Amino acid sequence: MLRKEQNDLLTQTGPGTPMGQMFRAYWLPALLAEELPENECPPVRVKLLSERLLAFRDSEGRYGLIDEFCAHRGVSLWFGRNEESGLRCPYHGWKYDVTGQCIDVPSEPAESGFCKKVKLKSYPLVERGGVLWTYMGPPDQRPPLPEFEFATVPRDWSYMSKRFQEANWLQAMEGGIDSSHVSFLHSGNLESDPLFKGAKGNQYNLSDMQPHFEVVENPGGLLIGARRNAEDGKYYWRITPWVMPCFTMVPPRGDHPVHGHFWIPIDDAHCWAWSYDYKPNRKLTADELAAMRRGEGIHAAVDANFRPLANKDNDYLMNRAAQKAGLTYSGVEGIAMQDASLQESMGPIVDRTLENLVSTDNGIIMARHRLMRAAKALAEKGVTPPGVDPAQQRVRSASVVLPPDQPFKDAAKEALTVRPGVGHASV
Amino acid sequence: MESESARMTTAAEARFRINAPNSQPRSVKVIALDTPSQRVIAQLAKGKWNRTSFFSTATSGNSIQLKDLSGRAFDLEAEVANANLVVMIASSGENSQAAGIIGEACKDKRVMTTALVLGSEAKTDEALSKTLAQLRPHALMVVIASAEEYIEDMLTALRA
Repeated sequence: MLRKEQNDLLTQTGPGTPMGQMFRAYWLPALLAEELPENECPPVRVKLLSERLLAFRDSEGRYGLIDEFCAHRGVSLWFGRNEESGLRCPYHGWKYDVTGQCIDVPSEPAESGFCKKVKLKSYPLVERGGVLWTYMGPPDQRPPLPEFEFATVPRDWSYMSKRFQEANWLQAMEGGIDSSHVSFLHSGNLESDPLFKGAKGNQYNLSDMQPHFEVVENPGGLLIGARRNAEDGKYYWRITPWVMPCFTMVPPRGDHPVHGHFWIPIDDAHCWAWSYDYKPNRKLTADELAAMRRGEGIHAAVDANFRPLANKDNDYLMNRAAQKAGLTYSGVEGIAMQDASLQESMGPIVDRTLENLVSTDNGIIMARHRLMRAAKALAEKGVTPPGVDPAQQRVRSASVVLPPDQPFKDAAKEALTVRPGVGHASV
Repeated sequence: MESESARMTTAAEARFRINAPNSQPRSVKVIALDTPSQRVIAQLAKGKWNRTSFFSTATSGNSIQLKDLSGRAFDLEAEVANANLVVMIASSGENSQAAGIIGEACKDKRVMTTALVLGSEAKTDEALSKTLAQLRPHALMVVIASAEEYIEDMLTALRA
């Protein structure tokens, strides 16, 4: 459980909040690069950390992320004309460049210099690994660009998707570090989903429904290990890294692509669930890509606004017959929507004063502990939070079989580190 | 017509969640396995807890005796028998042999165990390995924490 003030601290990310300040210390995924596919393409509305913004790509291919509303009369610039190196408000013709600088006010004489006095709030927007990343913090504290491995491999070695989730970012993220739910909620998918089935590790998973857990602090966040018995007295470990504030990587299965998530607050009641898949040593196959595009694995089939086709308006296409037959555990199809449906059922912001955590929830408890500690240190002493340093982002998940007496963090040290061109340690 | 899920997951509907206790206080036994950990639990015990007791251990052969902070002796079997959770606190590199005896008692009574290892950053990997080897067979959850205040946060989160 959390006290109400702790729950508020962790779940509120708008301007001026401690957790909002912390999120603004990181580069965050803002859009898929394909959302701005060409120069002078239509602009896209973006809400992040409770700020209404507009993304556009100008005539020279420069990306901009600016205040959504024209400084003149407050019109949404989503209606604007993306032309001649700027976005022009359709109401009275005021025009802005990608930095938010007003560069033309047709009603005023150019010589007056009036437009130079008008500048919208803007944030940098940079493409990396098929994702447009933004940094919303103080410009003088802008960190180096992100170095998560999926974003550094050739483009055809990775796949990225995002889906709209109607819940606070924290309850979605906590699902990603809660390893114990997999044996229940997703049990129907391990041997049927094309991006999961066939791995030897699945047998360890399915034959031991009560894994033991270890939670270890890492410079950028946590390593969460789930161990099950393997042959000859050894342990089968599935190790999930969590990089603060909201990045996770799921342990691999066989030679399947490796996947993970970011959970980015839109506002306090909604978030973007970003999902990536990649291989560090090969292209994704046509079959793998087709499965991801269909919404299999950790991805979801979505509409043009990235809202899942199975959503709260259609009761997530609940199938009680499939639930009863054991084809799905919850009656909802697909790993992503199995998670999202339950997380949304908690309400927009779950009241954690009512929860009853158990000892296997220590990954969640430790993550909250580290988030609160880091937010406080940043707010009170200006301490850069863990996970900002790109070196702390170069982590991997792993699934390995180890002798019983070794700390997984050390025994699997190499496996948990990015090694360019080398595949994940996987069972 | 709006679906039931859509209607029931709004912030407005969240206001109608029943605001009544949904669990009874758990009985938690926090046991320091070594001398450095005794200092940690002595500090922790000053906090306000529901049904949590704090003990140190005295090992004698294959048996151990629990002692509370005033030095009064308690029977391990009896304490475990009325526990919902046993939390063992260990310091990296110290002897955590008592974990085996406590773990067996918990196994007999089907009581959940959690082990917290402190001070690993100041010790060698070998020292941590030694401690983990003693704890792992007897703890469903092991946490290697860098900050002592984590224990307080964890116990609070577990409604101890």
